[in-house]
Amino acid sequence: MLYSPRRTLKRLERPTPDRPDGAWSALGMGEKLSLIAVALTVLIAVVGPVLMPYSAIIPSGEQLLPPLSPGHLLGTDVLGMDMATRLVAGMQRSLFAAVVVTLIAAAIGTLIGVVAGFRGGWIDSALMRFTDLFLAFPAMIIAMAIAAAIGQSLGSAMIGIIVVWWPLYARLVRGEVRRVAALPHVQAARVAGVRGWKLLWRHVVPAVTPTVVVTASLDIGAVVMTLAALSFIGLGTPAPAPELGRMASDGMKYFLNAWWVAVLPSLAIGLLAFVFNYAGDALRVMLRRTGV
Amino acid sequence: MAEPTVLTVSDLTVTYRGRGRVVTAVQDVSLSIAAGRCLGLVGESGSGKSTIGAAVQGIIAADGSAHATGRIAIAGRDLTPITDPAWAQVRGRDVTSVFQDPMRSLDPTMTIGRMLNRYTGSAEASVAALERVQIRRAGEVLKKYPHQLSGGMRQRVMIALALAPQPRLLVADEPTTALDVSVQAEVLSVLREAIEGAGCAVLFVTHDLGVARHMCDDIAVMKDGLVVETGPAGDVIARPEDAYTQRLMASRITLTTDRMRPVGAPEPAVVASMRDVLSEQGRPDEGVADAWGAGDLEWERFMGRTAAVGAASGLTDVRLVEHVTRPSLAVNEVDKTYWSRVKGRKVGNHVLTNVSFEIGYREAVALVGESGSGKSTLLRIAAGIEKPDTGSVDSQGVAGEGTQVIFQDAGASLTPWRTVEELLRERIEHTTTGAGMSRAQMRALALSTLELVGLDESVLAARPTQLSGGQQQRVAIARAVVVPPSVLLCDEPTSALDVSVACSVLNLINLLRHSLGISVMFVTHDLAAARLIADRVLVMTGGEIVETVGAERLAQDITTDYGRRLVDAVLA
Repeated sequence: MLYSPRRTLKRLERPTPDRPDGAWSALGMGEKLSLIAVALTVLIAVVGPVLMPYSAIIPSGEQLLPPLSPGHLLGTDVLGMDMATRLVAGMQRSLFAAVVVTLIAAAIGTLIGVVAGFRGGWIDSALMRFTDLFLAFPAMIIAMAIAAAIGQSLGSAMIGIIVVWWPLYARLVRGEVRRVAALPHVQAARVAGVRGWKLLWRHVVPAVTPTVVVTASLDIGAVVMTLAALSFIGLGTPAPAPELGRMASDGMKYFLNAWWVAVLPSLAIGLLAFVFNYAGDALRVMLRRTGV
Repeated sequence: MAEPTVLTVSDLTVTYRGRGRVVTAVQDVSLSIAAGRCLGLVGESGSGKSTIGAAVQGIIAADGSAHATGRIAIAGRDLTPITDPAWAQVRGRDVTSVFQDPMRSLDPTMTIGRMLNRYTGSAEASVAALERVQIRRAGEVLKKYPHQLSGGMRQRVMIALALAPQPRLLVADEPTTALDVSVQAEVLSVLREAIEGAGCAVLFVTHDLGVARHMCDDIAVMKDGLVVETGPAGDVIARPEDAYTQRLMASRITLTTDRMRPVGAPEPAVVASMRDVLSEQGRPDEGVADAWGAGDLEWERFMGRTAAVGAASGLTDVRLVEHVTRPSLAVNEVDKTYWSRVKGRKVGNHVLTNVSFEIGYREAVALVGESGSGKSTLLRIAAGIEKPDTGSVDSQGVAGEGTQVIFQDAGASLTPWRTVEELLRERIEHTTTGAGMSRAQMRALALSTLELVGLDESVLAARPTQLSGGQQQRVAIARAVVVPPSVLLCDEPTSALDVSVACSVLNLINLLRHSLGISVMFVTHDLAAARLIADRVLVMTGGEIVETVGAERLAQDITTDYGRRLVDAVLA
């Protein structure tokens, strides 16, 4: 058979490739730069401490050497510890803590939000009133109370922040789940016989994930700031642990004759927060492909 | 014919540039309209008709993404398309427009009076302008905001606004597509009369040949950016010369279309499906297309046996049977009220009142009514998506398994991140038929169903976002029939589609219904489409079934006033 209308038709109707150029090319120049900046920052924070010649908690030179001194690129602090080493170690600690806090808060919030939004009814009301309870307290105060109650350490500050942070995700996710669950494709899946967790997992959650991921990436910056603030007012692990907030507050005493001891840790905090905030937008563009 | 020419488009070519691709939307198009004449620009989506509409209004953005050559002359003023700085003086003065959706094109923060007064200058003149579009109590309407008016009223206001600056040319871009059918006819006649009074030239962009015939003096048919045929409306409709126009005309469905045979010209995709059906039934026939073309292909020929696996059959395996006596769907005295809170008080909206009907084995029933008549709620209740307040729905037929729905927006009814194979498998998994199947068996079943609706295995791994609108509609149909349901519920499956695609979807539904031996409930506002699928038509209004009519002689047999209004709304 030379001519088959069916074959011809089907060849014409081949599906077009979804995104011929990939997600990367959908980004603008600034967005690409922001992702590269995040990658660099993470790289420095992760491998930096290993490469540094000094220890972050043992004095290694003269006290209060200014930046650009031989052997100490960013100078030394009041005890003679190398600033560059301490900054890199501090960034690692901050970043690790912020990522862990955000992940746990997002996980708890997503779980509660998904259950509330999907089940509806009294389960929804109960879970949301419970969430409101946490939203009613000012974040810093509750974090301070927890840190004060279970002792001064980075861990207690993290727990404090998680406690006040997850309700935001619960709210966000519940709203998204309710919106998505009313969309035609979810009803169509229901009609096809898909029920319960399968329906939720296959047809609802993938539409919510991008929102959560983007929000979480933006939140890492905010959590870095909050952790630094708690550490600054003395609720983190005490010195000599390399915590950026604590380093900045300790350095305040010598501000007039050794500015770098306070300013450099502050700049490191700012850098982390800025880079992650900026990258959130790029992430949103990349995740938009699902189109829901 | 001494009227001066208002609009002349000569050799207009418009290309859009986007991400490394150049798309030619309009190619070498020349048109002209004289004062007092109405030119209909007819074509399917993607034919370039809206681009021409936008070009002569001067509203294609001059941001470098679109490029045009050729000339446009409006009321003696010669303009370069897109880039001419003089467009600012032409737009809104010499050329005005009526858009598809009046809710979006009227400013929600202004009263009608404030919008109109800017052109008319005084409240009295505004009242006169509204009276010209047959709005009674114009004084009250002037004080209202757009959201306080009905869709038909908004579009009338839009027409009054468009005519108020006394334009030389009016561009109407699908002005009635977003309106209810019975309102559509009224708005069209208002537009027609208002234009005659104003004496301006009109460019009427539409996909609907019936509307074009009703409105226009001349018609230009567009396809893929080219004008394939122009001429006086009567000639083009009655004696189309171009092959594409002929096909377009053949896909028109009216209240006298033959119900026993496929509509339209033979179409490769549907013919392929027909061959599949026949060879599966053990009587292959290569002459289907010829028989269709010759007009002696009846749906009877595709009659197949029914899979009896329904919950009421008591069977656990699939058995093919010739006949079933039990009705496929029984709706008994269903009531439904939606409650909402308005200013703290509970307000009930009775959507369905005491609705009862049955759909027999192999029967197709259409529910016809306007938006708000409760027909969609009834479909959702029949599908089990919603529960009735009182009354019962029994869809546990003997034939087929449960109910399946083809939704209005097929694209939105397919989960965007799942592949077509996964979507089809989900339906198979949850049925008696598919209970013991392996992955490979399910895949084979999915594939054979996709072939039945004119798709092939390259679609299996695709996600819905990669498919065209027509392909999405077919995938949605394939999911609904991959395991034949007892009743196939169709929710306006053709209202969002181009005429030729709608035609092939209707043919496909008819083919599947005969070959699979299933029943159909077809919800629509379009009597002509309803008549084509259904054996019986139920007319709904205000949440009640007011009339049941046999489909064959629908136009003659319908008796209620409301039913007659729907009949009159079908523009042939």
